[in-house]
Amino acid sequence: MKITPVLLAVSVALCFGGEAAADRLKIVTTTTDLAAIASAVAQDRAEVRSICTGKEDPHMLTAKPSAILQARDADLWIRIGLELEVGWEPPILDGSRNTRIRVGAPGHLDASECALVLDVPQTAISRAMGDVHPMGNPHYWLDPLNGRRIAGAIADRLALLDPPNAAFYRENAAAFQKALDERMFGAELARSVGADALWAKTQDGSIADFLRDPAHKDKAGGWAKALLPLRGKKIVTYHRSWVYLAHRFGIEVAAELEPKPGVPPTAAHLANVAETAWAGGVKIILQEPFYSTKAANQIAAKTGARVVVVANSVGGQPEATDYLALMDLIAAKLTEN
Amino acid sequence: MNRRTALSLMSFIAALMARDYVLAQTAGQPAGASGTGRGYPSFNPDVSAIVDMFYHQSDSKEGIGHVTGEMAGFGHAHGHGGEGHHHHGPDKGFNLRHLEVQLSAAVDPYFKGSAIVAVAEEGAEMETAEIETTGLPWGLKLRGGKFYSDFGYINAQHAHQWDFADQPLIYKLCLGEHGLNEKGLQLSWLAPTPFYLLAGVEVFQGENENLFAYHGEEPLPTHDGPRAGVGWLKIGPNLSGRHALQFGVFAATGKHQEEHDGDGDGAADHWLDGDSTFWGGDAVYKYDAPRAHGQGDFIAQAEYFSREKDLRLVAHDLAPQFVGNSRVDRQDGYYAQAVYGFLPRWRAGVRWEQVGLTNESELPNGTTKTFGSSRRASAMLDFSPSEFSRIRLQVSQGSYETAEGREDVAEVYVQWMISLGAHGAHKF
Repeated sequence: MKITPVLLAVSVALCFGGEAAADRLKIVTTTTDLAAIASAVAQDRAEVRSICTGKEDPHMLTAKPSAILQARDADLWIRIGLELEVGWEPPILDGSRNTRIRVGAPGHLDASECALVLDVPQTAISRAMGDVHPMGNPHYWLDPLNGRRIAGAIADRLALLDPPNAAFYRENAAAFQKALDERMFGAELARSVGADALWAKTQDGSIADFLRDPAHKDKAGGWAKALLPLRGKKIVTYHRSWVYLAHRFGIEVAAELEPKPGVPPTAAHLANVAETAWAGGVKIILQEPFYSTKAANQIAAKTGARVVVVANSVGGQPEATDYLALMDLIAAKLTEN
Repeated sequence: MNRRTALSLMSFIAALMARDYVLAQTAGQPAGASGTGRGYPSFNPDVSAIVDMFYHQSDSKEGIGHVTGEMAGFGHAHGHGGEGHHHHGPDKGFNLRHLEVQLSAAVDPYFKGSAIVAVAEEGAEMETAEIETTGLPWGLKLRGGKFYSDFGYINAQHAHQWDFADQPLIYKLCLGEHGLNEKGLQLSWLAPTPFYLLAGVEVFQGENENLFAYHGEEPLPTHDGPRAGVGWLKIGPNLSGRHALQFGVFAATGKHQEEHDGDGDGAADHWLDGDSTFWGGDAVYKYDAPRAHGQGDFIAQAEYFSREKDLRLVAHDLAPQFVGNSRVDRQDGYYAQAVYGFLPRWRAGVRWEQVGLTNESELPNGTTKTFGSSRRASAMLDFSPSEFSRIRLQVSQGSYETAEGREDVAEVYVQWMISLGAHGAHKF
């Protein structure tokens, strides 16, 4: 058969053919927060797109043909992980037929590997508990320390995929981290005391006293200072999506409006929440714009608390144009009066 | 295909995969780990089970299954004649569709495997068992085993994914309860176009009772498998924001044989052999609203399906004078449905179907019979307590042209479904 030698020749050629280097890397992320950080790290060396828009609940998405198309051309795919995207990521990766971005390949980055993860279940779990994530709470990008770590992880992965520009990516990541540190603690304080020391203080609980210390009070600024008044206070959230923010800034989440993760509020549960909120002096009910405010308004009416609707993702509200702007917005909304 | 071509094709594919493995190795990472996306180490397959039960009633004396089994022009449910009360259809009262157990896992860096075992009261049946490549270049994917053809939109969807409790009429009549589900091979290609274009060809054994039946015993001729082929194209224009759209076209052809019992004495007396062809198109539009629990989500879909059976009378015990003449059957139909999430976790849907707009048989005796069309309107309401459970109420009113005259049937379904275990995400 004439076709045999042709096939053989092509097979041999394929074994040794490499891939042409692309001029700009194509990065596709699942969420806008990852896209914002990836853009900061890659700058003009990459085109960054996000599958989510930031305006919707990232747990459930329709895997559109255009998402498959973006994945088809991607050199690097970044996801939040911890099963946040388990409802829609696999058909996109599968349908894209892009072997570079398969789970486990260098072109697939699971950002949760670098994050400090909370709410890891310590006991056996079942779906009777609601939509519990078996490996931990996936909303970790709301802890600015994780935002820092994500930038570093993306830079490391880009350095692996594009070694000639490794230094460029690492410099950009460092610049992003420096800007983040200054927005977190205030430029003056970050420079004089050093960001690493300050982050360590947020982890061992000594940051509040440090910021209030007359020696540092005037230099302190940023989100850490802005959210000091909320330290030790209790808030109520709709879904269990704010634990990382609360953890970093010493705020306590007293209750969620959802009786179990993923289950909409019920009258019986809201009655309990109202009691808990009243007893705990809760002044803020915090939720994302894509949830209904009906339940939050109910609790607010009973307790005098204020409903704060703020995006938890870049692009979820117009002011949240990038990661730092998102954190600015959250801090501003939590403290406005 | 002769052996040498088969061998060269296999070595070609092996080379394609070896290339991918080599490239991945040089990048310093394994070529691909488990596709489940779990972070913790486990080589166990993902196992899940679907329990789909429903309560059904209709005002048809013999049941909707009998009515749809006797539709004029569409013939009996089997290729056999005279099997009066053997119908495929829901019982009045409680039904368990079947317990569907799904297993899937990455096999190695090259392949993925999955199987669906349908366990019904009569026994277990292998619904699908397939192997899929995961590493072919150029957007190619090869799939083999027993699986649902990817033509159209609803054929590849499992019953628990349907937005209505029952199949569209045209597919039930032309392909049977399981749609086109065959043993064979599929090659699909995601084109490097600026819009989504997926093209596929499938080669199947050809064992669908309704359209690609095979008996192969006297007096019917034998045909070696594979006996059927399907080709399809899916195109998704790039729509911005929350909209998504996908169109498809498809066509198929294959060998088909029928035996009939014309005089109703329980034994076949005439046999036909020839080809079946079908073609059609599908369109799906989805709006993915940002609100939680599916509120504001909208999906509209429609499919048109046309089939032609072009058969030759091979033998006729009662009327041998017509042997050698042809018999051509042409039937078509469509459905259109829309579903909207009007509240968190609540959806409402409507569906309109017509079959037999073209409905004619050119008989071997030289006459042509035309039959009327049938139609059905359905409405449904469903509530999903979570992503893993759903309760549905559905009502339908249909007007059917049967061999015994026109019959109007009203039906009601109350359906309750759950999914256990690591159920994978569904495609678009």
